[in-house]
Amino acid sequence: MECLFGIQGDKFTIIVADTSQVQSIVVQKTEEDKIMLLDSHKLLGTIGENGDRVQFSEYIQKNILLYQFRNGIPLSTAAAANFTCGELAHALRKNPYYVNMMIAGYDPEEGPSLYYLDYIATLHKVKSGALGYGAYFVLSLMDKYYSKNMSLDAALDLVDKCIAELKTRLMGAPPNFVIKIVDENGARELAWRKTVEDINGPRPTPATPIEVKSPPRHISFRSPSPSSKERKGKGRQK
Amino acid sequence: MRLDFSGLDPVSLQRPCSAEAGFDLPSNPIGSAPSFSLPAVADLDGFEQAAVDMVKPLHGTTTLAFVFKEGVIVAADSRASMGNYISSQNVKKILEINPYLLGTMAGGAADCQFWQRNLGTRCRLHELGNKRRISVTGASKLLANTLYSYRGMGLSMGTMIAGWDETGPGLYYVDSEGGRVKGKRFSVGSGSTYAYGVLDTGYRWDMTVEEAVELARRSIYHATFRDGASGGVASVYYVGPDGWKKVSGDDVGELHYKYYPVSEAAAELEVEMKEASSAS
Amino acid sequence: MSRRYDSRTTIFSPEGRLYQVEYAMEAISNAGAAIGVLAKDGVVLAAEKRVISKLLATSKSTEKMYKIDDHVACAVAGIMADANILINTARLQAQRYTLAYQEPMPVEQLVQSLCDTKQGYTQFGGLRPFGVSFLFAGYDKKFGFQLYMSDPSGNYGGRKAGAIGANNQAAQSMLKADYKEDITREEAVNLALKVLSKTMDSTSLSAEKLELAELSLTPEGEVKYRVTTPENLNKLLVKLGITQVVVEEQ
Repeated sequence: MECLFGIQGDKFTIIVADTSQVQSIVVQKTEEDKIMLLDSHKLLGTIGENGDRVQFSEYIQKNILLYQFRNGIPLSTAAAANFTCGELAHALRKNPYYVNMMIAGYDPEEGPSLYYLDYIATLHKVKSGALGYGAYFVLSLMDKYYSKNMSLDAALDLVDKCIAELKTRLMGAPPNFVIKIVDENGARELAWRKTVEDINGPRPTPATPIEVKSPPRHISFRSPSPSSKERKGKGRQK
Repeated sequence: MRLDFSGLDPVSLQRPCSAEAGFDLPSNPIGSAPSFSLPAVADLDGFEQAAVDMVKPLHGTTTLAFVFKEGVIVAADSRASMGNYISSQNVKKILEINPYLLGTMAGGAADCQFWQRNLGTRCRLHELGNKRRISVTGASKLLANTLYSYRGMGLSMGTMIAGWDETGPGLYYVDSEGGRVKGKRFSVGSGSTYAYGVLDTGYRWDMTVEEAVELARRSIYHATFRDGASGGVASVYYVGPDGWKKVSGDDVGELHYKYYPVSEAAAELEVEMKEASSAS
Repeated sequence: MSRRYDSRTTIFSPEGRLYQVEYAMEAISNAGAAIGVLAKDGVVLAAEKRVISKLLATSKSTEKMYKIDDHVACAVAGIMADANILINTARLQAQRYTLAYQEPMPVEQLVQSLCDTKQGYTQFGGLRPFGVSFLFAGYDKKFGFQLYMSDPSGNYGGRKAGAIGANNQAAQSMLKADYKEDITREEAVNLALKVLSKTMDSTSLSAEKLELAELSLTPEGEVKYRVTTPENLNKLLVKLGITQVVVEEQ
């Protein structure tokens, strides 16, 4: 049961996605990263059929980078979202991609922004949004607890409320979630919320961020979950 | 004398009524297109699909692979079934793509064999062109891209690509829906759930090769025990820094008696004891 | 000698030249001139309209200035028939971009896409290069007001001021001497008209022979392209002291 949601705050946008890879009744993987860095200041969270998900998001990422190489300037978040929407709409009546997305970005002029894009190419600019079965539980929570220009702490608090609700009410709730952020310092991984620690040996090194101009400023957020604390200690060797 | 050219004439769609024509025409004149009657079903496409599915081999399978400290273990059963019929008990479900890469087979046997052989060719071309072996990541992506381009066209594959490259051990799951997942532990096929049970419980990162091989063998054995469509021989491969090596191939029947030696049944024991007591 | 190397656009001469391209540039230096000046609050385009015959009905709208999108306009020197093709592709490109990204096409990209087309005709056999030079005036969010100049070879460059067409060398050296950094749009109009009046062959200058257009930003932040009406242009010419004759007549 896939879950994907995003929240736009005062100077940032965060996207949260479950990290489960499921094939019929088998959970193949519980740490599949479904949020991709499109460029230094853009995030693309995707859920849907695995093949389509990966192929489509890689296609979009490569095209956005190609634009940057060709023209020397990055695409604005709005342009990137509209481009993605166009590509999806174009494919819809031929070989549709079964992928739902949240696109987050930070532009120097516009500030943070968040877009909702579903597999039938509906594009909305939103302040908060959710997709997948998780959306049925999370949307009302976000309606109630979202406030304009939330701080990062408040937003993470809301994220934890959402995850807690999913775990109590959603059948087959995913055990682990990844949270990524984009702000003026770039797009990057912020935290994981884990209930299952796979006995998988050393963790894989995370995907290297694309050309983040300044090093990410240290972010202090409210009490990280014990599992993520533990991860700080032993993870990332190799 | 007149030659009969009627066989060259186009066949009329409606056969002339013999009563009207006054004589009988051959029902299938020479030169007409051969034809056969269609099965008397309402849903012809569905009927054909069912027919194909019935004989599509290798739908029942157990394959597994996992990465641990020393490398990758790949294991599989060897039974091929067509519907209810066991068509073979000695199928090689672990395909040797090249000395450093293994692929496993679940789904359509021909699809797996053809595309993994094709992958072998392309991996070799990569080697010749780049003067270095292809990474497991690269090889699995080649396969996934190929399968993705054929998606929805009837391919049926669930395969694991395992190997050793410059970055160490690698393992990916690739399927005919275009999915490609990197991971440490996978099992594919109808018996996969049973294999997962034993595998997940017994798995540790820092196993020795011997322990790992035994875990794989045991997982396959338990899967074949519960899954009717899996069986035959449990073969186990180990991939280390020097490439793959076939470690073992054990008949699961024999494994059963090895893991669970037959002890004399209680009733027989009773009889024996009675005999012994009466004799004394 | 050069006969063998100038009949095809695709062949270099032994001296390493592409004659057809050079001829195309030559053709343009006989065409009516156009001048562009970049100001801090806008871009000014001025062009010379050649009245070939008195019988010719002059266009009510502009002949040498074309709007490509809401935020880009261009001035043309050269063969108008060729220019029309390029302007059409430029308009198409701009619309395609908005369709894909839902925002205006960055000016340089538009210029580049057009110059790619031009370049293609200097390389692929059997075709003639476009006999057109352009001055593009545009505005985008990232780089503000911009002015670009392009020639038949497909070369283009960003400019503070530029001239194409007849006497462009003379015009450019005058612009070089008189251009000052951070000039206002009004000063830019004066400069453009002054330079054009000096480099044009005709003795008397009037709105009949000139076109003037400006690109600016409204207080609401929208890009505005405005062509000066003949009446206003005449008034302006008088004010600048470029035409005294008209005053006397009046």
